[in-house]
Amino acid sequence: MNARRVMVIAKKEFKDVLRDRRTLIFMVLLPLLVMPVMFLGIAKFAQEQQSKKQSRTLRVAVDSNVEPMITALADQWMAENSPRLMITSAKIGLSFPAAGGDRKGLGTMIEQVRDMMDGGADAASLADLDPDLVESGVRLAREIDPADKALFDDASTISTFRTKTEFILIEDLEPSETRLPAGVEVPDDLPESWDGEQLARAIQDKTIHAAIHLPSNVFDMLEDQRASVPFSVFYDESVSLSEEASDRLAAFARIVGNGLLEMRLADNGLAPQFAEPIVFEGADMATPSRRVQAFLGGLLPYMIIMFSFFGAFYPSLDLTAGEKERFTMETLLLAPVSRMELAAGKFVVVFVAAVVAAVLATTSLGLTFTQGILPQGVAAGFDIQFEPEAVMLTAVLLIPVSALFAAVLLGVALLARSFKEAQSYTAPLQFIVILPAMAAMLPDLEAELHLAWIPFLNVSMLMRELLKGNYLWDFFGITMLSMGLLTLLTIWGASLIFRRETVILRT
Amino acid sequence: MTDSAVMVEAKGLRKVFKGRRGDHTVAVDDLTLTCRAGEVFGLLGPNGAGKTTSLRMLSTVYRPTEGVATIDGHDVTSDPESVRKSIGFLSGNTGLYPRLTAREVLTYFGRLYGMDDGAIEARIAHLAQLLDMDFLEKRCDKMSTGMKQKVNIARTVIHDPAVLVLDEPTAGLDVLAARTIVDFVKDCRTRGKCVIFSTHIMHEVERLCDRLAVIHKGRMQFDGTLEQMRATHGHDLEDAFISVLEAA
Repeated sequence: MNARRVMVIAKKEFKDVLRDRRTLIFMVLLPLLVMPVMFLGIAKFAQEQQSKKQSRTLRVAVDSNVEPMITALADQWMAENSPRLMITSAKIGLSFPAAGGDRKGLGTMIEQVRDMMDGGADAASLADLDPDLVESGVRLAREIDPADKALFDDASTISTFRTKTEFILIEDLEPSETRLPAGVEVPDDLPESWDGEQLARAIQDKTIHAAIHLPSNVFDMLEDQRASVPFSVFYDESVSLSEEASDRLAAFARIVGNGLLEMRLADNGLAPQFAEPIVFEGADMATPSRRVQAFLGGLLPYMIIMFSFFGAFYPSLDLTAGEKERFTMETLLLAPVSRMELAAGKFVVVFVAAVVAAVLATTSLGLTFTQGILPQGVAAGFDIQFEPEAVMLTAVLLIPVSALFAAVLLGVALLARSFKEAQSYTAPLQFIVILPAMAAMLPDLEAELHLAWIPFLNVSMLMRELLKGNYLWDFFGITMLSMGLLTLLTIWGASLIFRRETVILRT
Repeated sequence: MTDSAVMVEAKGLRKVFKGRRGDHTVAVDDLTLTCRAGEVFGLLGPNGAGKTTSLRMLSTVYRPTEGVATIDGHDVTSDPESVRKSIGFLSGNTGLYPRLTAREVLTYFGRLYGMDDGAIEARIAHLAQLLDMDFLEKRCDKMSTGMKQKVNIARTVIHDPAVLVLDEPTAGLDVLAARTIVDFVKDCRTRGKCVIFSTHIMHEVERLCDRLAVIHKGRMQFDGTLEQMRATHGHDLEDAFISVLEAA
């Protein structure tokens, strides 16, 4: 084989493929842009979805037997104990039929409080109404919505609390999406009763997002204090907003339950700690950079392998089936170069394209996480550094991967008569690669030595371990041997195909 | 003419293609021909007769199943690279790289033929003048059919080969582009090149060929001069050609 002729062919093929728009897209543009666009897009989309979800007022059906109980429960709390329930429910946005209809239950209670304030009841008289009002209200509000904590920081003075109380009450009486972002409302246009199937359907078609049921003897149970009151919420986890409604109602139940518990403890002269003798305090020792490393360690190998494939894809088709389609293959075969020199020249180009695409994709991924391309919240903690040795060895692994792709794609694409036919031959190959390449994303899959013989899976797992700083030399050796043997075998196979005159001239 | 050097010689060439199911197709059988320097040798035959396969064997693209052939003294089987250096091959199947300019295509093939860059540049300048190519910097995909044909001719002779193999070079061309080819063949003969010219077009045979062979069903049916063919099979060349085919 004459190296000079191989280089003449390779140089010309480089020039040719770099003028091909498809190759440029797959080799340069896609690897460079896909990472920032993907991560930025996903981050923005997730943030938008989350805020959209939180700003929705959700429709919750209440068992017709239960609704009076809930309102009575609220009335009872108002009359006997404290308006804590009022504040709690207002903050999580549980609103009852308001203006225009019969205000009952909580609505009535809220109205009464507002009337008192409108009628000139000052902060002091509110406090007189319930000596615990100020303190408990502030505490619960803190529990419910930590984001609003700042508003209550100065709540030790009666005036601050009063302002806040009024604010909450008005919001609750006039719910709107802008003023009551995380609302739950009970629609007044629902049928009298539903059976289980109708209820499930109503949640599925989003007529309502959830339904509440309480036992009929709820007050007896509360009074008795020997049984927990089941606060049943019917929802559908496959419907995102239904799940959200369930979460909000769970928070409601938890807050009300905590309030009850605290009161019971107080009635018995016990401190809140009595009910919580042990507090679990988990401390995740992983630094943010280690967590990111673990995440990228799974993603990077997959990216490197797939982009190496995509980088090799179009040039390999263009330089084989594309040549046949353009009738330049025969022109080339008439030149004084051997088939092996021809194959080698093309191989060099496809191999380099595969390496370039993988390197660009990895670089782009690195820049995406380190150069402030991502939104603040998403990028937090992404200031990681991989060890230079790990990066070097990862680059070494890229060599057999790219060589294997170049040989396989050139050989298979050469069997085709046209570019289109070659696409249909080679596209399924990516499915053979995707699964083992995804191995690194399975955190529980340990790098056991026998797995080092499985092509691509070995590379994927080894890259993951290297990027985590684990240098598994025996695994590395077997991986290189396995990939090297397969690559040589594939190159030999591709060279046989290049020598078959009926294949190389098939048009 | 008979004193000129033998440039192409084939004896008993046979090409068999193996099918996927183990069947065999004999594309060319027992082809024997001789072609000398300064001679235009016409190869006639209907579609599927085996013309292209024969020319591909002579140009080393196909390896003969049986028989021997030499080009300018080089054996097509044992010394294919020397054979390819000695021939220029032009056919409807020898396309140009659409994304390269004419100059880039010619430079590429010049390098493949082992020429140095200075020699390539001088040769391109010469051919550009000869073929009236003032579009050397134009990409091939932006060229007209006539322009492409000129570049293809230049590509065929960039290394100034002693033997030219032209496989239906005028097929699908308009009158002007076809005329370029015909003029080119005449010029080659004048300069003492050996030309093997395969065609369907009878008046091209009459105008260009010194000798001709008719190939049909993979076998040579006639080999001689135009006069010999007319004497044996009739004055009108087309009638004579059909008569040869019918006799096969």
